[in-house]
Formats: sequence, C-alpha cells, structure tokens
Amino acid sequence: MSAPAQILKENLWTNNPIFMQILGICSALAVTNLLSNTMIMTIGVTFVTAMSNLTVSLLKSLIPRKVRMIVQTLIIAFYVIIVDILLRAYLPDISKALGPYVGLIITNCIIMGRAEAYAQANPPLISMWDGATSGFGYMAVLLVIAFFRELLGFGTLFGFQVLPDSFVPWTIMVTAPSAFFFLGAIIWAGKTIMNREGAPA
Amino acid sequence: MNRQSVIYTVIFTFLVSFVFVFILAFANEGTRELVAINQKINRQRAILNAMNVQYSGDEDVLKKYKDVKEVTRGDVTFYTTSVNGEPVFAKEFNGSGLWGNINGILAVNGDFTRVVGMEIINHNETPGLGGRIDEPWFKEQLRGEKIVDGTVRVGSAGDGDTDHDNGMIDAVTGASRTSDSVEVILSKELSVISDALGGKS
Amino acid sequence: MNAAPILNPFSLFVASIFTSNILLANFLGMCSFISISKDMTSSNGLGMAVTVVLTITAALNWVILHHVLIPLQVEYLRFIVFIITIAAVVQVLEMVIDRVSQALYMSLGIFLPLITVNCAILGVSLFMEIRNYTFVQSAIYGLGSGLGWWLAIMALAAIRKKTEKSKISPGLQGPGITVITIGFMAMAFVGFSGMLAVQ
Repeated sequence: MSAPAQILKENLWTNNPIFMQILGICSALAVTNLLSNTMIMTIGVTFVTAMSNLTVSLLKSLIPRKVRMIVQTLIIAFYVIIVDILLRAYLPDISKALGPYVGLIITNCIIMGRAEAYAQANPPLISMWDGATSGFGYMAVLLVIAFFRELLGFGTLFGFQVLPDSFVPWTIMVTAPSAFFFLGAIIWAGKTIMNREGAPA
Repeated sequence: MNRQSVIYTVIFTFLVSFVFVFILAFANEGTRELVAINQKINRQRAILNAMNVQYSGDEDVLKKYKDVKEVTRGDVTFYTTSVNGEPVFAKEFNGSGLWGNINGILAVNGDFTRVVGMEIINHNETPGLGGRIDEPWFKEQLRGEKIVDGTVRVGSAGDGDTDHDNGMIDAVTGASRTSDSVEVILSKELSVISDALGGKS
Repeated sequence: MNAAPILNPFSLFVASIFTSNILLANFLGMCSFISISKDMTSSNGLGMAVTVVLTITAALNWVILHHVLIPLQVEYLRFIVFIITIAAVVQVLEMVIDRVSQALYMSLGIFLPLITVNCAILGVSLFMEIRNYTFVQSAIYGLGSGLGWWLAIMALAAIRKKTEKSKISPGLQGPGITVITIGFMAMAFVGFSGMLAVQ
C-alpha cells in the first residue's frame, strides 16, 4: 500500500486520534451537540492541523531546539487566529455558537501531537497529508457522536427537523454526560473490532 | 550561523513572531469593516424582530430600520416605529443570567397593554438548557402577551404557552435559574418602561 | 461589548466548582485528566498545580487583556498572548516545585510542562474574556475552576483505584471505561445545579 494510503488508513482507523490515541477529547465533547457546529469545528481543526504540519515541516531545519515547542505553538496559534478571524467575518452566528472552542483548537493535543510525531521528521507535502488525514479521523468520530446527540437531543439533523413533533427530545443528549458515554462506546467498539482483527491495539 | 546559538534563537523567534503578527494584523484589518457591519445588522435585526416588523434579508433590515426612530422618555432611550398603524416602543436591556449578561430588546405597544416581542442579542447561558430562551418557541410566547399587574410572569416548565392573555409564559425545562432570570428581567424592564412612558394609559 | 455581568462572587465560586465544573460540564482539561488519574498522589499534585496556574493566569490574562490588548486594539492576538503567559507561569511554577519538592517534581514528570497545553487553562482565560468578567470575577472563576478540576481528578482517581481489580471487557479497558465513568460523574454533577439558591 502506498505511503499516503497507509497514512490515511492509520489516521482514520488503526491509529485514530480520538479513540486510539485518546487525544483532542476536549473539543470532541463540547461541540458535538449540533452537527453544524461539529462540521465547522472539525473543518477548522483539519485545516489547522494540515497547515501547521506543512509549516513545521518546511521550517523544521531552521527551528532551534530550545524553542521548538513554543514555535510550534506559535504556528498553531497563527492558523487558529486566521480561522477565528474568518469565522467572525463570514460566519458570525457559528462563530458565536462555537465561542471559546475555536481558540481552544490551539490546545488540541492532536495538532501538537502530529507536529511533534510526524512533521518534525518528514517532508512537507506528506506531513500536510498526515495532518489532513488526522483531521479526517477526528472529523469522522465527532460527526458520528454529533449525529446521535443532535438527533435524539433536538430531533433535528443539521437544523432540519427529522423526527416528528411528537418526539420528546432526550435532554440528556444535550448535556455533558451523553458525550462521554458515546465516546466510551466508540472507544469500546473501535478497540473490540481491532482486537478481533488481530491488529495491534 | 550556528542554528543552536542563543543569538540565532532570539532572532529566529522574533522574525517568526513578527511575520505572523504582521499577517494577522493584515487579516484583521481586512475584515474589520465586515465584522462591524455584521454587528450593526444583527442589532437592527433584533430590534425589528422584537417590534414584530417583517423583513426579508439583510438589505431589507437596513431599509426597514430607516423607519425606526430613537426617542427619549424620562431618561430612557426607546426605539419606536409604527406597526400596522400602532406605535411600538422597544428598549434594550442588560440583565443577569446564570452565567453572565443577557442582552436583548423588549418591545411593548403604545398603551402598555401588551408585550409586542422580545429578542435576545447576546447571552452566555448553557446551550441546550438556559440557551433555549433564544429559541423561537420561547420568544413566540411573548408575542402580543398581555401585561398583567405590570409584568409577565414565568410559570413552570413547559412547551410554550400559547395563551397570550394570561400574562404568563412557560419556563425552560431543566433551566430554572435562567428562567427565573428572565422573569426578573421582564419585571424590572416593564416597570422601567411603564414609568418612562408614564402618563400613557 | 456587553456590560460586565452582575454576579454574586460566592455563587460564581460555587458554580465554577460544581454546576459548571470546567471538566465535567465544559469538557476542558481532559487529556491529562484521563492519563494521570491512574495514580492518586500524582492526581493530587497535578490538581494543586493546575489550581495555582489557573488562578494566576486568569488574573494575569485579565490584566493583560484589559490594560494592554484592548487599549492597543490588538484583541485578535489574545490567543497567542494568553498562551505565552500560561507557558511563562508554568515555567516559573516548574522551577518552584523543583526547589520545594523533588518528589513531586519527579512524579509529575512530563505533565508539568503539559499543563501549558491543558485546554482548561486557556479555556478559563477565554471564557473570562467572552463573558466580560471583572478582575475579581476572573480570579474567583480561575480559583473555582481549578478547585473543581482538582476535585474531579481526585474523585476519578479514587474510583479508578477501586475498580482496578474489576473484570472489564478488553475493548473497554483503560480509556473506554474511564470515559464512561467520567460520564456518570458528569451526570452526578448536573444534580448540583439546584444548589445555587439566590443570585
């Protein structure tokens, strides 16, 4: 299997950032109550991860060892601010709904994790691909969680009423605990399937 | 130059920071006007919504808002216009929610017998719980709601009180604190409005 | 910008620990939460460190936001500035802990510098900015959030200790069951929401 395809498979499944590496949990739980928020958030994270991986890889031979983490953080913060500025200008309602969680993309361990684990040691284009696919892995899990939380908590999908009016929303889906339970279930499912396939857990 | 020396480290960090901040400043300036316009339209839209003025699209908001005048009664600033030949007075309010400020517009008819509507501009309540005061079903309760004993009361939790003559609206399920805050805001604002418009029976 | 909210300091303090626990209600600070809660002593140490960092950075970032960033009209740089402040405070704290207790320094290991990217710390600063808190409110919110985080990690560590020997299906072992446990804790904390009597 070619390198890019291998990376795609790993970041989407065998080494999925959320249910295998257990990274980036914070935002995974916070924005998944609505599919639209989740979509924008995950696109933002994918963008930032890809771009910061690209930048770190381009600059890796220039960055002094001592300030490696700080410079990485600066690069990540830079792209996050760009996303924040763009959201505020062009999608103000979503920007308000996401609130501080856009800024919190900076602390998303996935981004820092990929920069350290991959971009520091690999060429720019493939690093960017690694960043993008990690973002996709993150996106996939979050969309699944959000799908259930919005459907059962509000009766809608992407804001469109899907369930009939007679459906009484499950309020717990809107609050914190449900996100944890879904995440636990996904971790359980992912690991169990992988154990059966015999792949290293 | 030695990549690990102190001088290089300092120069590098400064250079990188400078480039980033420069680009960000550029992006920020470029979108500043757009953000300001968005905020202005948002505010005007809220005022029109509270006063139950129909509009279609953002261009129409700006147009319809031209008919709204600012007047001062007592020392209170009102936005006023005529809806279906009847005068409507709207006032901006800032009240305490559970988590912070609730900022919005409250509109009453000229003879202070009914609330014309309420719109929320900003709040920090919990999404899905207290945040539901910003949902259509909640705000719809206040459309044409009769003012009884100088206020509109918030009763027990429900799906939306369709009786507009009982001077009561339903609270949000699971958000008693925020619902109480709304009751306090209604009581205080209606009292201030009544004093300011005083003399109009 | 909105007016500063009129919040009873005591309510804010209690709310940030219980009803709007930074971890169980706002989902911030999860990564180290899940990994460190295996051991009670490190959890205790980390909880203390996070509380100290949270209180100091909430207050410090408020000062920087209102006396440097806003007057200069560069609020859009707040992410970078906040995180640099946090990194600096953590660095100083690291040096202090190293002096005061070698044992604690050893047991916290890599997690001390990782406090810098702990979303809870940056999150509190960002919430403080969005909600337009005053200086005092920010400090109280920082302290309360830290204590809430500490409380949560201690509780989770205690539960994990008790369930150490239990038989858990392989797919669920480790992070899986931990996350579900946190879910139950979060549910329990929702029950606190009736606690705040008068605003």
